[in-house]
Amino acid sequence: MDNWNIEKIKEILPQRPPFLFVDRVLEIDTNESKITCLKNVTINDYFFKGHFPDRPIMPGVIMIEALAQASIILFASLKPEIAAKHPDYLFGKIEAKFSRIVTPGDKLILEVTKGKILNSGGIVNAQALVDNEVAVSARITFGVKQR
Amino acid sequence: MAKKKVDFDKVKKDVKKTISQITEVSEEELKEDADFTNELGIDSMMALEMVAAIEKKYKIVIPEEDIPNIRSLKNIYSILEKNLKK
Repeated sequence: MDNWNIEKIKEILPQRPPFLFVDRVLEIDTNESKITCLKNVTINDYFFKGHFPDRPIMPGVIMIEALAQASIILFASLKPEIAAKHPDYLFGKIEAKFSRIVTPGDKLILEVTKGKILNSGGIVNAQALVDNEVAVSARITFGVKQR
Repeated sequence: MAKKKVDFDKVKKDVKKTISQITEVSEEELKEDADFTNELGIDSMMALEMVAAIEKKYKIVIPEEDIPNIRSLKNIYSILEKNLKK
């Protein structure tokens, strides 16, 4: 596999700090259409300042965003010719179940598996784990639009 | 043979209901020939959701390359007819 460091991630994802939530791509399996990424959760993450001042908990919506960013990288590895044109990636529908809180120091593993991927969008099954425990599982429908 | 036909009518009815729920297009508006994009304002994401719902409900697989060809309810019926009569 290519070395998926932060520079390469930034070539695919339009998001930038403090709103970039994939630190590293650990594995891409194009046969299985599955990606595994890492987000190191630290007290320096901007959202902890307000969520919550005395008790830092990673917001669920940010976990969903992290899974969505991992999904974009999966899309890009399956449809490189479309990703190369830097389209807009849009949420369509999210069904999610949260089962564990995530706090500073946690290594959030983002796993995304293809349901359907078309040129114009896709459906993926995703989960974020900490210490092999599922923190959130979600089914995400997204659209891909050329600008 | 006659029984099978009755079953498929029920399938059609159920599919129409499912699609109406996903797309928020009323069952009356959802005519068999109405074009999803041009007449009913159904976008590609909704089309994906429809396909996913139908796959789950009838335990079939609709290949990705067939999805862009799904233009109307009629197309969905014919895919189902092919798959369910196998």
